[in-house]
Amino acid sequence: MTSIYNFKRIAPVPESSDFLDIVLSKTQRKTPTVIHPGYKITRIRQFYMRKVKFTQETFDEKLRQILEEFPVLDNVHPFYADLMNVLYDKDHYKLALGQINTAKHLIDAVGKDYLRLLKFGDSLYRCKQLKRAALGRMATIMKRQKDSLSYLEQVRQHLARLPSIDPNTRTLIVCGYPNVGKSSFMNKVTRADVDVQPYAFTTKSLFVGHMDYKYLRWQVIDTPGILDHPLEERNTIEMQSITALAHLRAAVLFFVDLSEQCGYSIQDQMSLFASIKPLFANKPTLLVISKTDVCTLDDVRPEERLLVESACDGGVEMSQLSSYLDSGVIETRNLACDRLLLQRVEMKLKGNKVNSVLNKLNVAQPGRRDTVERPACIPTAVLERRTRQDAAMADADADAERPALERDLEASQGGPGVYNIDLKKRYMLASDEWRHDVIPEIMNGKNVADFIDPDIEEKLAELEREEERLAAEGLYDSPDESEDEEERRIRDVARRIRQRKQIIATESRVKDVNRATLTNKQKAAASAPEDFVNHLQQLGLDPETAASTAQRIGRKRGRSESRDPAVMLARSSSLAARAVSTQRDRSTMGLKNARQKSVSDKKKLVSQRQMNLMARAGESDRKIGMKMPKHLVTGKRSIGTNDRR
Amino acid sequence: MPQNEYIEESIRRHGRRLDHDERKRKKEARKVHKDAAFAQKVHGLKAKLYNKKRHNEKIQMKKTLKMHDEKNAKQKTDDAVPEGAVPAYLLDREGQQRAKVLSNMLKQKRKEKAGKWNVPLPKVRGIAEDEMFRVVKTGKSKTKSWKRMVTKPTFVGDGFTRKPPKYERFIRPMALRYKKANVTHPELKATFQLPIIGVKKNPQSPMYTQLGVLTKGTIIEVNVAELGLVTTGGKVLWGKYAQITNNPENDGCINALLLV
Repeated sequence: MTSIYNFKRIAPVPESSDFLDIVLSKTQRKTPTVIHPGYKITRIRQFYMRKVKFTQETFDEKLRQILEEFPVLDNVHPFYADLMNVLYDKDHYKLALGQINTAKHLIDAVGKDYLRLLKFGDSLYRCKQLKRAALGRMATIMKRQKDSLSYLEQVRQHLARLPSIDPNTRTLIVCGYPNVGKSSFMNKVTRADVDVQPYAFTTKSLFVGHMDYKYLRWQVIDTPGILDHPLEERNTIEMQSITALAHLRAAVLFFVDLSEQCGYSIQDQMSLFASIKPLFANKPTLLVISKTDVCTLDDVRPEERLLVESACDGGVEMSQLSSYLDSGVIETRNLACDRLLLQRVEMKLKGNKVNSVLNKLNVAQPGRRDTVERPACIPTAVLERRTRQDAAMADADADAERPALERDLEASQGGPGVYNIDLKKRYMLASDEWRHDVIPEIMNGKNVADFIDPDIEEKLAELEREEERLAAEGLYDSPDESEDEEERRIRDVARRIRQRKQIIATESRVKDVNRATLTNKQKAAASAPEDFVNHLQQLGLDPETAASTAQRIGRKRGRSESRDPAVMLARSSSLAARAVSTQRDRSTMGLKNARQKSVSDKKKLVSQRQMNLMARAGESDRKIGMKMPKHLVTGKRSIGTNDRR
Repeated sequence: MPQNEYIEESIRRHGRRLDHDERKRKKEARKVHKDAAFAQKVHGLKAKLYNKKRHNEKIQMKKTLKMHDEKNAKQKTDDAVPEGAVPAYLLDREGQQRAKVLSNMLKQKRKEKAGKWNVPLPKVRGIAEDEMFRVVKTGKSKTKSWKRMVTKPTFVGDGFTRKPPKYERFIRPMALRYKKANVTHPELKATFQLPIIGVKKNPQSPMYTQLGVLTKGTIIEVNVAELGLVTTGGKVLWGKYAQITNNPENDGCINALLLV
């Protein structure tokens, strides 16, 4: 129910200039922005028509949102309608909303007119001018709504701060002259934390607080003080109280300050009570005499007492309280709540709705069967306890007889921190002796205790001692290192083999399929006969035979042997002149050493990664495959026709 | 539940944080820098809006500064005539003012003399036929093209009845027909929306006058009955001429200046 009268969800109303910025920039963002005079005129027209239409719709939407979100005074509860009338002036409010509505219609009309004109636009310039004129006229209309919008924004901010009062629930209304203790009472019974000050009109608006009584949720409304003068002269602050009193069906607590500390005489207060009594009709009313710590009903003069008591007729009850001493507060609250609850139940019983519930209820009472008495069965232990309790009630010293509590035990046995609570003492076992027995720990279905050797420490010590003795006797001393010549040689060869294997493995790892490889001829040119000899020697051949073999299978002997060695050297070192035309490896060109080469290889791999991912043939492959292959997307899509896809 | 003036109430009860004023002062001091940084960073539509705003603010600020300067600066009063003997080189000082008035009067007189019938917009841009008319293809196979549609705003009188479509050469579309004009009275400096009575003359061509085409510079007759103008003889005026001062086809409305 409360959510209906929650005005906190109204969206903020922007100022008229902000409003324009919002709408126009939305148009700019959400509609296409690029147009050229060379386009077809229909396209140009459509472009600008879209802009005009979009702007008009945005304005329309924003204004409609305002119109829908603000509460319509005729539709809300009369309490809220009246409160809003008091606070914001109904006429002004309606006028503002009406103007917004008119602006909405005007903007719609402008949009419609200019769309019609745009249909005859024959050039980009003309279309653009028409669009500009349309947006300008809409903006002018909106600019005129400056005051309405700012007023509505103020109303919204105030509405959001109104207390959310549910007009239909159980309610107590606290009213009376200013400074008689209304807010103090409110603070006593609820957690509302209303400001209390020793001057009049501290509370300037309605405040709501909540409390629980009889497991029900109650709301208490604290109202500003009212003075005793005609309705027309009342100001906004007082009118809020009057509104609450007039429209909410609640229990009314009229506060009277007999001590006259509030600055108003008892006569004044009672005459106010009499003058606003029509508002209390059909409501349980309490005349609450507050500040009894200062002045009670017995302390006042007899004629004034008579005045006060004469007010308490016709269903008005009197109650006394002192918020300062905290006396009578809860009693007053309970009295008011009970009276209201009673009245609400009566009202409900009078209505039609109750029948639908009553029809379903049936309280069955069995008839008397025979003359045998069947009283309630009460166990003797319970009866005994009851008598003991009664005795304790009667006699305060019987306190000693009550059973000792855990707290008493704690006090007697060293107090908190020393006393350790015995959790096992109430275990219910077959025999009470078992209570404090140690519970076996079971692991994998076996008792852990069974596997514990009590002598394990001793056994370990015994073992260590034996070890020490053996070590001292020299049992663990290793025999001398006696390695003969044969073994050392074998080890050496093995080591060399291992090294060699490692090198081969590394080489093969480094070798890359994509790496540029030397042709056989190049290899031959690059390798010197000495390398070959070395290689053969490493393989274990005799150095001389190796050299001769190298000579035999090496480069063919040619004229070169008769040549001048200096010329030979120059030739072999210069790349420019070569006897054999070989294809030069471009991947190694411009690179100084192997390290540079490996770096560049790595870079190349990285640069090709994306290409490979996209399955490109090379850098220049820009092919875009068919995005929507026709044979896959055309044709009927009803059942059974596209399963081939 | 927070209700009513709960923010102010909280401030009253618990006060603000201790560095509130300091923070506020610093924030304000930093604001100029922040604004400048934002102005440099922002781009696109937001930049346009923001720069416009800043521009206006600056103008306003300069104006106020100027006003303060004027207030502070000494100003010569024109009326103050130096008393007593005045040296020769100061004799013609206050004659200045009078001379100015005289010249204004002269100008006014010349203006009035310069002919009664000159209009606010003496020259207009020529409009070609193909801009004015759109060819409407007719015939069963859309081969005939003798029909024209006027693409400019027009005034069509109340009594106009269409010819049968077969013989109607010029079409004046309903969407482009206007009945009212925003007429400014040059002396009253006020604008009224007045009904158009007829088109007196379209400077482009007599044919356009006949068709009632409303372009810039066209003289129209407007109903000024609601202005309550009276002739020197005491008769109530109701028809008066006005010249169109805007391009109605671009603006979607007709603005005119009353010829008085």
